[in-house]
Amino acid sequence: MALPNQQTVDYPSFKLVIVGDGGTGKTTFVKRHLTGEFEKKYEPTIGVEVHPLDFFTNCGKIRFYCWDTAGQEKFGGLRDGYYIHGQCAIIMFDVTARLTYKNVPTWHRDLCRVCENIPIVLCGNKVDVKNRQVKAKQVTFHRKKNLQYYEISAKSNYNFEKPFLYLARKLAGDPNLHFVETPALAPPEVPIDLAAQAQHEAELAAAASQPLPDDDDDAFEQNTCNPMKMGSFLRNRRVLKPVHPGGFAEIRKKSISAAEVMKKNPRHFITRPDFHG
Amino acid sequence: MASTEPEHQHREDEEAPAGDDEDTGAQVAPIVKLEEVAVSTGEEDEDAILDLKSKLYRFDKDGNQWKERGAGTVKFLKHKESGKVRLVMRQSKTLKICANHLVLPTMSVQEHAGNEKSCVWHATDFADGELKDELFCIRFASIENCKTFMEMFQEVAESQKSEENKDATAAADALDKLSVEEKKTEEKAVEESPAAAKEEETKTCEDKKEEKSDPST
Repeated sequence: MALPNQQTVDYPSFKLVIVGDGGTGKTTFVKRHLTGEFEKKYEPTIGVEVHPLDFFTNCGKIRFYCWDTAGQEKFGGLRDGYYIHGQCAIIMFDVTARLTYKNVPTWHRDLCRVCENIPIVLCGNKVDVKNRQVKAKQVTFHRKKNLQYYEISAKSNYNFEKPFLYLARKLAGDPNLHFVETPALAPPEVPIDLAAQAQHEAELAAAASQPLPDDDDDAFEQNTCNPMKMGSFLRNRRVLKPVHPGGFAEIRKKSISAAEVMKKNPRHFITRPDFHG
Repeated sequence: MASTEPEHQHREDEEAPAGDDEDTGAQVAPIVKLEEVAVSTGEEDEDAILDLKSKLYRFDKDGNQWKERGAGTVKFLKHKESGKVRLVMRQSKTLKICANHLVLPTMSVQEHAGNEKSCVWHATDFADGELKDELFCIRFASIENCKTFMEMFQEVAESQKSEENKDATAAADALDKLSVEEKKTEEKAVEESPAAAKEEETKTCEDKKEEKSDPST
């Protein structure tokens, strides 16, 4: 199907429309898939941005043309115009903002007016955030409208591949379709350029002094949730990191007394003696 | 070492509410028919000599900051025939490539200031199917894993130096042989056996090689 902004490829491609309120993380989610980065800054999308996104499956390579649309009304651009010839869709909301879930029916209605009978995935994004406003149990819209629902986090990559996998399976009518390794082609030999090498070394030295963007998250440590192991981490950074039941670690810049923690979280028990205000 | 490394993703899985994967979608007619195809990792002729869970970053020069590139498995792959080693990292779940470059004798891996679990290096990377200069930073779950990675990286870079020397000696060898044979045909009166001559040559070559690789260690 010939669409604007679309170079043709010799493998199956699909137009994927991504809608949802502003700030729910549509662009961040697409960027995460495109480059691996996690963009924290919020820059509202104006109109639409189309990005090709390729996946390797056991049934060959496929491509989604992701139509990342503006969530904010004032930047809406063509609106429904973007939905034309959409072959699949993602409706995104933010589990930390109730209103974005309340608006899901509107997005769904607008989408379905233009695209009939296409596979749609509802995504509740930002499930890594501790204080959710929309709990998993409260999400029921997908059952009424026969959508697939996934809880995702563009930040932690939780379920981040699932929406694409689901859509690919539906579009191909193959429930066993799965992602396979992208072939790692042999990298060509590069002639050594001594002048360039000196420059790279200088750049590397400068880069080595820059901290990592998510250094404070310490995702590895959070997941092992070993409070004893965190001792040195906490002391070094002068922050407290109470570990909640279920393994959530909370980063606190200011100290908190054990009593305060327990007041807020009655299910807590404090084992570390240095958790004092 | 790789296999003993915990997955670090268990918590995510535990959190998933029951019936997370339950299909509640409407029945829609498929729009394409896809046939199963033969798949290739591109790694079939290589052995993984290291395999560790990690998170990869690349330096954004314009923004003067590190940006995430992917989280998954980093591997050193040694080619079964050429002995060349490359670094390949794949994103978990999507299995896409985040890094794919040869480990060359000119490369060196360095500490990342303020973080013992991460280290940095420069490479001309081929992950996207085109060569790009990248500054990489990789972070591991533990200091030990980072050490293992750095040691292996340095070791491989060193070994590629001697691989290059081997190549050079092989070429020199071939040249010598050529000239010997030329001489032989010209002056048929040469008495020493060519086999003995060759043996001597290889010996001297090996001596040379040892001398050459010495300063690098």
